[in-house]
Amino acid sequence: MSSAIRRVGWMAGAVLAIACAVSIAAWAGGSGFGDDDDNSEEEGPSYFGFVRDTSGATVPDAKVTVGVKNRGGVVTRTDLLGTYKVPGFGKEVDPKDVEVSCDKPGYKQLRVVRRSSPSSDPKIPIETECTLQRS
Amino acid sequence: MRGPLIAGVVGAVIMASATVAVLSDRTAAQSPFGDPNAEPAPFNPQMGALMSMLIQPRHTKLGLAGNAENWPLAGYMLKELRQGFAVVAKAVPRWKGLPVPDLVDAAVSQPLTLLDYAIKLKYRRQFDEAYEGLTKGCNACHATTDHAFVVIKVPDASSFPDQEFAPQR
Repeated sequence: MSSAIRRVGWMAGAVLAIACAVSIAAWAGGSGFGDDDDNSEEEGPSYFGFVRDTSGATVPDAKVTVGVKNRGGVVTRTDLLGTYKVPGFGKEVDPKDVEVSCDKPGYKQLRVVRRSSPSSDPKIPIETECTLQRS
Repeated sequence: MRGPLIAGVVGAVIMASATVAVLSDRTAAQSPFGDPNAEPAPFNPQMGALMSMLIQPRHTKLGLAGNAENWPLAGYMLKELRQGFAVVAKAVPRWKGLPVPDLVDAAVSQPLTLLDYAIKLKYRRQFDEAYEGLTKGCNACHATTDHAFVVIKVPDASSFPDQEFAPQR
């Protein structure tokens, strides 16, 4: 009986010691908290760009399709500044297979220019500028 | 029966000593605000600080000067504001991965040009419209950069009690 009580006492002491050790490490700055990441490790680069007209003015509320070759894509619209943003696809998607197109009633797409090559920094998006011409 | 009790007391004393040692070591070595014996670090304000230092006060002063039809001061503040945007775009060319020079250009270039015309013409109504456009551009850029909660408006009072905005005759 007394040996059982002694065993329980030792186990309780051990648990207390481990708990204290962990809390001291955390208190001393032994554990850290990262910032919210815009891109997780599993994602490829995000996609960003402007839609402009032929004068260079940005075009708000244009429809932008960011598609992956043979796999569909996502549709978004430009904001008040004429920009669009699409989060990264899976890492298995090659950015070279991603195509951007834009559209707005009264306009036709004139050209699409990718402004930057895929960066190793996942926070830097792939920039594609789409130009619309009044039809 | 006394064994576990002694072990518990000894364990508690060891933990308490370790805690005191860690805390005293932390206090001696570092303050949350840095090491007083370190070399001065280069001042490197980032986007939020630059906006508060270089952009927001100049936007305010430009609006107050235009409202008072103090055109020389408005022209001066417009130049200062333009330079502020140029400094921000050079100091932080990318923010959250986005191209700051392009965003600034899209947000404020056109209204800044219209403000320049309005000030040179001393044309109050065009100034008001262009200033409203500038303010909308600021807020559009905040929305694009996921800071839509930072809402800029046309100033309705001066936050510079030590500066006269009315033109001096």
